[in-house]
Amino acid sequence: MTGPIALTPLDLLVAASLIGLNAALSLWLGLGLERKLLVASVRTVVQLTLLGYLLVPVFALHQPLIVFGMLAVMVTLAGREAVSRTERRFAGMVPSAFLAMTLGAGATALIGTAIIGVDPWWEPRYLIPLVGMILGNALTGVSLGMDRCTALLDDNRDRVDTLLAMGATRWEAARPIAAEAARTGMIPILNAMSAVGLVTIPGMMTGQILGGTDPVEAALYQVLIMFLIAAAVAIGVGASVMLTVRALFDDEHRLRPERLSKR
Amino acid sequence: MTLQATDLRRVVGERTLFSGLSLQVEPGQTLVLRGPSGSGKTLLLRALAWLDALDAGQVTLDGRDAVAWGVPQWRTEVAYVAQSPAVFAGSPADFLQLVKELTAQRGRGCSDAIALAAAWGLPTRAWSQRWADLSGGERQRAALAVAVSRQPKVLLLDEPTSALDPDATAAVEASLAGLTCVWVTHDSAQAQRVGTGVVELA
Repeated sequence: MTGPIALTPLDLLVAASLIGLNAALSLWLGLGLERKLLVASVRTVVQLTLLGYLLVPVFALHQPLIVFGMLAVMVTLAGREAVSRTERRFAGMVPSAFLAMTLGAGATALIGTAIIGVDPWWEPRYLIPLVGMILGNALTGVSLGMDRCTALLDDNRDRVDTLLAMGATRWEAARPIAAEAARTGMIPILNAMSAVGLVTIPGMMTGQILGGTDPVEAALYQVLIMFLIAAAVAIGVGASVMLTVRALFDDEHRLRPERLSKR
Repeated sequence: MTLQATDLRRVVGERTLFSGLSLQVEPGQTLVLRGPSGSGKTLLLRALAWLDALDAGQVTLDGRDAVAWGVPQWRTEVAYVAQSPAVFAGSPADFLQLVKELTAQRGRGCSDAIALAAAWGLPTRAWSQRWADLSGGERQRAALAVAVSRQPKVLLLDEPTSALDPDATAAVEASLAGLTCVWVTHDSAQAQRVGTGVVELA
């Protein structure tokens, strides 16, 4: 085999017509999702096509500065997207999500390229897709973790205040909530790791198999990626929950719920 | 140790709850805090416990403020007890265990909260029930007993007997006599009984 069968515009048009099923369902049940569906479909087409066209010169130019510029844009967008999914906000939430994902995705992507033995280590053909996959999962974990952490702190002010009044530090008082939030953030990746291979074939493995890679080799790659993703989620969720706690308590160990705004 | 507050001011929105407020509680005294609902009594107690910020003023215990004490240490010495205790997921016994650990970490020991609450008519079995299954009066006694068992230098009590019957109220008042307290109450007879001084909020 010499790579996947190329798709023609006509192929995609046929695929796009499938979205009509979603539209029909929305109309039939009165879900009011038609507009969202249209916007999401157009975004899918535009964003992915642009990405494809963008990656061609990025791979060809092979400049570290361009590669890192692109990664910076990806992490920035991921930070904004993570916060857009949470019900409550605080000042500095986007930078917190950004920092958490930079730590998680950065550390694991470096380890990943080192394990694979990519040369140079910033080789865009490896690093960019790797970071993209890691970010996609870290994003889910970070947004769930921050959403849960802010909601629990807001809803349990009296419990937190009681622990503080009993002489707990802010970390001691927030600990049960931080643990619960971290658990919430990590559940999706743990579920994914349990179902993978039995129920689901992950996108990257599918891609490698379609691209002609030996399925066993593709599976080994996928195992590596899953572990990287799990580690990135753990780092991202842990850091984002800690930053959330840090932001909602002051240095004098007082809970500051007024720093939260609800959408 | 003397708890001293000087020139306290707190503004909420447009409203000045108190300004230029000073008070002092000597060891063994009980300062009664009175005032209509919404006059800032709870906020003042919470500010003394360093749980709420003040707009101006100074609060010290033994001449040092909470930052100098270290805020968790301050709250170990100056214990705030809310009017309605927080309803935790577990039982009062779980909470007591947690508080014992926290208090030990701050270098302090606890007396027997269960015996103390028993003197107020709280049955021992209440400690192993879930908070959610206890009545308001049972919760209030359990939470107060936990706070008192930590042997703080000053107790900040927000209507500590509001959910109790007269017998239990009398028993609580008897146990707390001689301790150093700032005591919020709407009941003027109770204020007469327990207070060695009064601060009125407008």
